[in-house]
Amino acid sequence: MDKNFQEEITQIIKFKPPLYKQRHQFVKDLVEKYKPKKVADLGCADCSLLRMLKFCSCIEVLAGLDICANVMQEKMHTLSPLPVDYLQPSERSLTVTLHHGSVAHKDPCMLGFDLVTCIELIEHLEEPELKKFPEVVFGFMAPSIVVISTPNSEFNPLLPGVMLYRHPDHKFEWNQAQFQSWALETARCYDYSVEFTGVGHPPTGMEKAGFCTQIGVFIRKYPQTGGSVQSEKPTEAVYKTVFKAVYPSLKDEKYLQNAVISEVIFTAQIIKHRLMSKHKEYGDDPERKSKFQPSMDCFSDYLGKLVVEKNMEPFVSGNEVYIPLATIFSFPKVNRLCGTFEKLCKLIAGKVTLSSDGSAVIFNIEHENEEN
Amino acid sequence: MTGRARARGRPPRQGPALPAVGDAPVQQGAPGQLRDRRQPPPPQQLHVPPPQSEELGGHGRLRGFESVLHERRPEGLQVSSGLQDLSLRDRGGRRRDFHDLGVNTRQAMVHVQESKTGFSGKIIKLTTNHFRLTSRPQWALYQYHVGYSPEMEARRLRSALLFQHEEHIGKTHAFDGSILFLPKKLENKVTELFSRTRNGEVVKITVTLTNELPPTSPTCLQFYNIIFRRLLKMLNLQQIGRNYYNPSDPVSIPNHRLMVWLGFTSSILQYEENIMLCADVSHKVLRGETVLDTMHSLHSQVGEERFRDTCAKELIGLIVLTKYNNRTYRIDDIDWDNNPKGTFRKSDGSEMSFVEYYKKQYNIEISDWMQPVLISQMKRKRGNIQGPVALIPELCSLTGLTDKMRSDFNMMKDLAIHTRLPPEQRQREIGKLLNYIQKDDNVQKELRNWGLSFDYKSVSFTGRVVQGEKIFQSGNMFDYNPQFADWTKETRGVPLIRAVPVDSWLLIYTRRNYDVANTLLQSLFKITPSMGIRMNKPNMIEVDDRTEAYLRVLQQRVTPDTNIVFCILSSSRKDKYDAIKKYLCTDCPIPSQCVLARTLSKPQTIMTVATKIALQMNCKMGGELWSVEIPLKQVMIVGIDCYHDTVSGKQSIAGFVASLNQTVTRWFSRCVIQSRGQELVDGIKACLQCALRNWSKWNNCLPSRIFVYRDGVGDGQLNTLVNYEVPQFLDCLKSIGTDYSPRLTVIVVKKRVGARFFAEIGGGLRNPPPGTVVDTVVTRPEWYDFFIVSQTVKNGCVAPTHYNVIYDTSQLKPDHVQRLTYKLCHMYYNWSGIIRVPAPCQYAHKLAFLVGQSIHREPNLLLSDRLYYL
Repeated sequence: MDKNFQEEITQIIKFKPPLYKQRHQFVKDLVEKYKPKKVADLGCADCSLLRMLKFCSCIEVLAGLDICANVMQEKMHTLSPLPVDYLQPSERSLTVTLHHGSVAHKDPCMLGFDLVTCIELIEHLEEPELKKFPEVVFGFMAPSIVVISTPNSEFNPLLPGVMLYRHPDHKFEWNQAQFQSWALETARCYDYSVEFTGVGHPPTGMEKAGFCTQIGVFIRKYPQTGGSVQSEKPTEAVYKTVFKAVYPSLKDEKYLQNAVISEVIFTAQIIKHRLMSKHKEYGDDPERKSKFQPSMDCFSDYLGKLVVEKNMEPFVSGNEVYIPLATIFSFPKVNRLCGTFEKLCKLIAGKVTLSSDGSAVIFNIEHENEEN
Repeated sequence: MTGRARARGRPPRQGPALPAVGDAPVQQGAPGQLRDRRQPPPPQQLHVPPPQSEELGGHGRLRGFESVLHERRPEGLQVSSGLQDLSLRDRGGRRRDFHDLGVNTRQAMVHVQESKTGFSGKIIKLTTNHFRLTSRPQWALYQYHVGYSPEMEARRLRSALLFQHEEHIGKTHAFDGSILFLPKKLENKVTELFSRTRNGEVVKITVTLTNELPPTSPTCLQFYNIIFRRLLKMLNLQQIGRNYYNPSDPVSIPNHRLMVWLGFTSSILQYEENIMLCADVSHKVLRGETVLDTMHSLHSQVGEERFRDTCAKELIGLIVLTKYNNRTYRIDDIDWDNNPKGTFRKSDGSEMSFVEYYKKQYNIEISDWMQPVLISQMKRKRGNIQGPVALIPELCSLTGLTDKMRSDFNMMKDLAIHTRLPPEQRQREIGKLLNYIQKDDNVQKELRNWGLSFDYKSVSFTGRVVQGEKIFQSGNMFDYNPQFADWTKETRGVPLIRAVPVDSWLLIYTRRNYDVANTLLQSLFKITPSMGIRMNKPNMIEVDDRTEAYLRVLQQRVTPDTNIVFCILSSSRKDKYDAIKKYLCTDCPIPSQCVLARTLSKPQTIMTVATKIALQMNCKMGGELWSVEIPLKQVMIVGIDCYHDTVSGKQSIAGFVASLNQTVTRWFSRCVIQSRGQELVDGIKACLQCALRNWSKWNNCLPSRIFVYRDGVGDGQLNTLVNYEVPQFLDCLKSIGTDYSPRLTVIVVKKRVGARFFAEIGGGLRNPPPGTVVDTVVTRPEWYDFFIVSQTVKNGCVAPTHYNVIYDTSQLKPDHVQRLTYKLCHMYYNWSGIIRVPAPCQYAHKLAFLVGQSIHREPNLLLSDRLYYL
């Protein structure tokens, strides 16, 4: 089901950017506008739309559904988190799931979505499936927004080489009136409003033909009342999950803890270096001093202000450097990560060496000067 | 220190990567790039060296590749033809023959046809990190050619059309657009299928059986590796570069903002008797900061005027990961005149800024619009992108370690805790991979479908520990404790074989280091007499701590009588060191010794340090320290290693070192500087000629045997070596005289190998002792090769060195070649112990490194009979 690819071949002459890109852009613009948190793509094929949507920062749950597991599997690994996602976990959480199944079947995993997209999907459905489709999508899934795109058959004469349908797997291709009447009927039945638009403008003079791809955007008229809906829909799982990726996120305690520990130690190191180079000011190593001094400039003013307050000043005692947690907490990055001082203490407990009263990070500097 | 420079000098090794999802090509890039990036690259030919059939030596019967295969493994006959056609690719992968498949060198060496194994030494029980790959009896892989009529260009379209017929060809397949591999045989030799494109066009697909591949064919090996990568992907391991890593359980080292991922390297190859998976633990050091973060901290450290230089030094050559796709790039340059607001040309000819592009494509907001742009040169075609690619520092994460980090003792210590796994633990970690494979249903299903499986227990066999060498030093003979492989203690206070008197020398230091200089001097006077070194008082010179001051002193005070110049440096600033070395190696050829003041400042270690310095100075002036027994007469040993300049990226340097005397204690050293694109061999030929002339001057005859230890050979370069470099050596020998035909042995030395050996001692796994030789089971049938574990390590696992004898007319027994090789590992004068490679390789490495790092020019030939670069 290489619909994107194949259309591109003939239409690249006509549409710039290629039509499939325009369709994806359309969805993306919609996402930007409505900021849905949970988005499902029905008939996700090679997951190219999902791959684009995973970069939208409002989305926290992304699901794909397709009748063909192979085509999903071929590219599904591109939906996995990247190494960098682990290195710098994002603020938001994101879970991407791919399901193998039919849009003619109900599965509870599709409940609770804000946006459901059906891009170039319905024309691949056989008559009985198409009949069940509205009930599954609008009746059962019942998201706030549904986007449905499908070829506009009135445009076909303008496309070179299209005989009957644009793709051999298409079961039908509707003209504008057919699509709109189906859409209006569906919207009426499930209490949605629908607006029609499309991508792929007709050439001048042929405006009557309409968009190459016609799109209906359905918006649910009334907010759903969560409880009652759930009780009406006790359904068994029929889809098979073929892929699931949970992105590292700071919402996950494990990643947050790592990030905080890393930031705390790094900040403490900076403060320590500053302290040590101060100590060395009259020492015998001018080179070292000049090396570290400027790096602290950005912090020095800031620290200067801080140490005026009590108990905030780092100090050396014997072979140990004490850096008060309060000082570390006052650094914006640490502060932003933890939110509260209590949270900071909780997260680093047992992971960072602290003074006996737990108020300061300790570094042993006994071996510090030997090798560097 | 061994091999590091070289390793990083290499182009990044990148395995099959996922299809490009987006890297902005730079402006000068050809139009058409953006669009093409979405499409899978066209099928590409696998570059495999053609079966080599020309005769190599002046002896033996000419044997073709096929006939040999036929003799040794009749069922493999059709292999070579399949190999040439093979173009099966994992997506986006680079086609390079990393394992030097199809380079059969053993066939030309008659004396090792029957056996290439040695016999001396004690038997030792070993296990390794190899696992047998097994297939059903009668297993074969069926290779089909798939043709389309009318011709279809796009690979995805070709796949889509073909897989409309899955009921015919089955669910298990591997297809690259033209070659189809199936685990089962189709009913007919030629199958015709009909598909329809969306235009309604009917396409005839002809699937023709071209090969039935036996499990051992090289094509199959390539195929196993591809399937294995699929399995690793199924296990949700993350690919970085060539290896796969487990992201879910990282070790973080917050002190240095480092993260270490545990992963695996894997390769499946035909070994002596079996096809085996070689799996090893790999650690990927990743950094929790972006290139931009690093730039900021560099800026605050070095200030404005040295900022750009420092960035170039620190960053160029590093591998980065991007925030938006699963690719690694090597930073080749930094474009300071560009910034994210800069534009590049898209496929449709329109200009777009980086800021816009990343916003539009990935929803990424670039926050710093003043940052420069990183440039990565694509050495090979990826899709249709070729040439420079621009990257935004803010969106790139660094991987690996910089030179500076490597020299940070504390950091390396913290890292070592996690990366240096002792044998037991290493084997356990490797076992985890096999465990994942065994436990995962999908993986098992895939394996079953292909009719393959693994032995989940690693291979056990026996090796030999050859007898330790005796160390000779001025009539004294020493044994060393094999556990430490070191004779520092044993030889302390014993006269050297040849101690060069230090009559006239300069000691240069800064005012601050006056005390240090005196302490050193006293220590030297204390220890040199027992070594037999006569040492006069030096010319003590105090200088300002500036490069020019040092140079001025050198220009004024060095006389033709000066034996050596000793400089005490107060910091590890490289420019000063470089300037001194450059001057004293080229313009004014005098041996020199530079030491950091800090090294001399600890009273508790000063005697040890002074001893090492005295030995090193002696070698630099042409002295000899110790020897081992070399039973061969009239032999010249040659070592070659390469250094690739990462910073300027323009030149490579080959160090060439050849022995001059019977005891193999004096060396002739030269180097070849080769600019990009130039062949190395011409220069090496000249070196060899020169070395032979010098050898005959020293010995009044020409050597009757020559051994070349060739280090610095990258994966996949073996073919070039066999077909170009060896003939050049032979040519060179011919040019010396018509009646001159010495016996020549060329041995490729490889330090970076995946194989690890573990000795089963007392119910546990230990590192094998130095002198462990392995020449069965895990060696390659088509090569005359062996492994030697020569060094010891304090922690972690010892890495064996792989030796591949690619040319040999010596008629020596394999045992003797192995022993000689091991003996040469004892002869590196900068370390009174056994090292990983034969001494000439390490000397060549040192020389190439010095020239590449500091001198950048060929050193003066007057120094060539001394180890001035130690």
